[in-house]
Amino acid sequence: MKRILGWGLSLLVAWFFLVPLIWMVHASLRPEAEIFRGGMLSIFSIDQLSWSNYADAWRRAQFGRALLNSIIQLVGIIGIGLWINSMAAFAFARMQFAGRDLLFALVLILVILPVEVLIIPLFLTARDLNLMGGYAATMGALIIPFTAKAVNVFFLRQHFLQLPTALEEAARVEGANWFQIYWHIALPSIKPALATVIVLDVLTHWSDFIWPLVVCTREETRTVQISLANLFTQPPIQYGAILACAVMATLPVLILFRWIQRHVVSSELAAGIK
Amino acid sequence: MTSGPVYLWVGGMITILQRLSVLGLITFLSFGCGQVPQTEVLQIWSHQGQEAENRAMREIVAAFNETHAKLGIRATIEFFPDYQYTERLSIAAAAGDMPDVFGVDGPTVAQFVESGLLHPLSDYFSDAELDDFLDTIINQGTIDGVLYTLGAFDSALILYYDRVVFDEVGIESPPFGEAWDWQTFLDACQQLKEHGISPVSLHMNVTADEWFTYAFSPLIWSGEGHLIDTDANQIEGVLNSPANIATLTKWQALFTEGFAARNPMNPNPFGAGETAMDWNGHWMARSHFEAKGHRLGVMPLPKIGDQPAAASGSWSWAIAATTDKTDTAVRWIRWITDPETGIVPIVNAGGAVPSRQSAFEFFPEYEEDPFRLFRFLLESYGRSRPQTPLYPNLTQQFAAAVRDIAQGADVEERLNQAASAVQRLADR
Amino acid sequence: MNRRSWEAWLLLLPALLVLGTFVAWPLVRALLWSFTDANLFAPHNAEWNRGSHYSYLISDPRFRQAFLNTALFALMVVPLQSVIAFFLALWVNRPEPYWRWLRTAFFVPVVVSMPVLAILWTMLYQPLEGDQVGLINSVLLVVGLPAQDWLQNPLLALPAIAAMSVWQGVGFQMMIFLAGLQQLSRDQLEAARIDGANGAQRLWYVIIPSMRNSLLFVWITTTILAFRLFVQPYLMTRGGPQDRTVSIIQYLYETTFLNRDLGLASAGAILFLLLVAVITLVQQRAQREVRS
Repeated sequence: MKRILGWGLSLLVAWFFLVPLIWMVHASLRPEAEIFRGGMLSIFSIDQLSWSNYADAWRRAQFGRALLNSIIQLVGIIGIGLWINSMAAFAFARMQFAGRDLLFALVLILVILPVEVLIIPLFLTARDLNLMGGYAATMGALIIPFTAKAVNVFFLRQHFLQLPTALEEAARVEGANWFQIYWHIALPSIKPALATVIVLDVLTHWSDFIWPLVVCTREETRTVQISLANLFTQPPIQYGAILACAVMATLPVLILFRWIQRHVVSSELAAGIK
Repeated sequence: MTSGPVYLWVGGMITILQRLSVLGLITFLSFGCGQVPQTEVLQIWSHQGQEAENRAMREIVAAFNETHAKLGIRATIEFFPDYQYTERLSIAAAAGDMPDVFGVDGPTVAQFVESGLLHPLSDYFSDAELDDFLDTIINQGTIDGVLYTLGAFDSALILYYDRVVFDEVGIESPPFGEAWDWQTFLDACQQLKEHGISPVSLHMNVTADEWFTYAFSPLIWSGEGHLIDTDANQIEGVLNSPANIATLTKWQALFTEGFAARNPMNPNPFGAGETAMDWNGHWMARSHFEAKGHRLGVMPLPKIGDQPAAASGSWSWAIAATTDKTDTAVRWIRWITDPETGIVPIVNAGGAVPSRQSAFEFFPEYEEDPFRLFRFLLESYGRSRPQTPLYPNLTQQFAAAVRDIAQGADVEERLNQAASAVQRLADR
Repeated sequence: MNRRSWEAWLLLLPALLVLGTFVAWPLVRALLWSFTDANLFAPHNAEWNRGSHYSYLISDPRFRQAFLNTALFALMVVPLQSVIAFFLALWVNRPEPYWRWLRTAFFVPVVVSMPVLAILWTMLYQPLEGDQVGLINSVLLVVGLPAQDWLQNPLLALPAIAAMSVWQGVGFQMMIFLAGLQQLSRDQLEAARIDGANGAQRLWYVIIPSMRNSLLFVWITTTILAFRLFVQPYLMTRGGPQDRTVSIIQYLYETTFLNRDLGLASAGAILFLLLVAVITLVQQRAQREVRS
């Protein structure tokens, strides 16, 4: 009995906790005039639900294009980032060279730098490197500066450090060079850590706002979050379409949800607490 | 935990990466290299208007391209949100990514000129041509005697009302071209409210700051106040002058008395029949006319002092100082300000007031209400917002103040705060 | 060994190149610009101004307001979020699958992006107007309380934004605490129980001390995140009402792109970085002291 009461209570708490998101999905299906009418109980109403807001949102926000841009951005950052961060992490973890510890300390300092603050000089630096203007250049500006991440180098280094030296020594006896050891032996053995890095990058960059706001000037370069913000600020304000767009901007991460949840936990433990 | 598929996926990614890394490098190295254009491409940037306007703009560009194809000229157009348009253009200018021609809102011309972003137009248009434009258009585009922008239309701000509702309640509207004084306006609001009708919508939910300066600076002028003394670069004592405090205190009563909504949700309550009057611009004329037909009445904005309250100024076209396609850009401005190729389609889509005398012959509706009033107001009282490089800050601060005053902030305190914020920037 | 060293640098090169170009170099540039009158449109022909930006910033009421708002925001979010997350973690730390579902529920807002949530909560906070009202006010009305103008009221706007931010991030912190709790051995708790410790004593003497690291980690990350406030005021309030929600990042953004004052914005960025560095140092010092 006590257990059932506890479950009932927790169900109630969960309901109130998730009500904003439930309301978002429900209201996105309702006609414009009804969205702010009917109060709390309107969430249970199934009258007049329709997909028409989604069609409006898709068209007005040019959502297809925005989705493509966001995906290119994520794949670019994660693809290149995984490669270069793991190489650096490997070198820091497994190799000896002059100045290693000092260099690593410098990289560590960069971990605490909040990106938002550097947006302005970063913007002018990207401009000086011709990463502004056309589509390809803008995508470059969205991707390249965020590929290398001090925090990811740090995190992957921790994992490389834990690898046993036996395999690596055997490979060296057989004449493998360091690049081969990194690529064929070290990298495949830290796949769980790589998955974690991917998850954190997906979470971070899917919700990127201020940097795309600055660099995605042209219509064709706008990412999902920027299109959504435009829809929210551009008259005529149609709350139904805005909500539909918000739901669409959430679906991709919701699809990856289980996977994200699993890997976030392991990451923070290793990165922050140990 | 079954995390197998994830690792498989990561493994796959690594394999793909192994194959693609070289290819990827090459792709990224090639970023930033442009292509050599075959034809001359003119880049046009425009603010994002109502959907009908955007459609009309695209059609105008298409027609322009058809006519100019044989000259090897092609124009492309992109739209930018109104929200923080000035910041967007600053970013583009700083990025060295300016288009060839772009839309500029009237009051922001001065800042663009001061930053050296605009190319003067005076050399390309004859006096005879320019005489055809409305004075308000020439004035808003002229900084220190040099013309920088020309537009296809000008704007006007009026009070729309529902004739049938007025008759039912017993409110008498003023004769053509005459404005109510403030007390008459308040009395009408009171009468409507007593009959259970929401009196007027002031669109306090608009996201763009410019709405507030555009819509309510006419009241400031009507009360014989100013936003800024542009000659002395003085804001303190001007923006928060006793006259302005009195004006906005009277205006604030609209909200405390419940005559206007503080936090409306519907973008068009008048069209939906929720309010009896609408404080709004020309851009709603066609939509209101369609919704209301002959129920639609129009009058000038009510006066708060002795001066009439009227606004003018709108989006116009400028050539970027950085472009090397000046002649083609001038062709575009000619095209978009030509009565037949530019003004007719855009005015039909947006309901604005044609910018040229010679264009009115295409618009017989400007002989009758509601459109007749727009032209009358513009030609008799049109007044632009101040021309100053500080305008973007001024409008940001004024809009924030007006929003807060509507929510009940102390008028004097709030105006003092806004004035000193802008003054600090002016004194830097 | 030479060969080795050469290979190491090759492996490091891409990451160092990107970090150097897009993190370290911009940082240096910001530092240099902060002492000049650089304009956004002509950053290269600037003149030295001997740090006058710094004195201007310190006396600028808007910057002070932005600083105050951001600090208040952090002061509201950090303790609330950690305390709520901690007790949620204690509550849902049970083995049955049912509780795993509950954990999942608390984690959902974490994956939803901040722009989506800022827009959503603007609608939830919608004041009462005629017969239309946002969800939160409709609940108040049902309970018999008056509806509030959450985002329009100068006293409520920042707390409203903070409440929304706590809701968004609490699931993330809860997960970290859960991971910490799972390292806590059952034996320790059992031993405490046998010794006759009650719930509060167990919490205070056994659970909290063993969770120090998780607590400090949450404290540091949440503080830094809170100081980066931008999306919420940009989309929900535009810094209003009465400048009560202007944040430091927003001030920097406006100074750069509206006023085009690159020098001043750079000085603001450097001050901000110093602040973040100080906070991090203080917290790390605290961490070290607690550990020893």
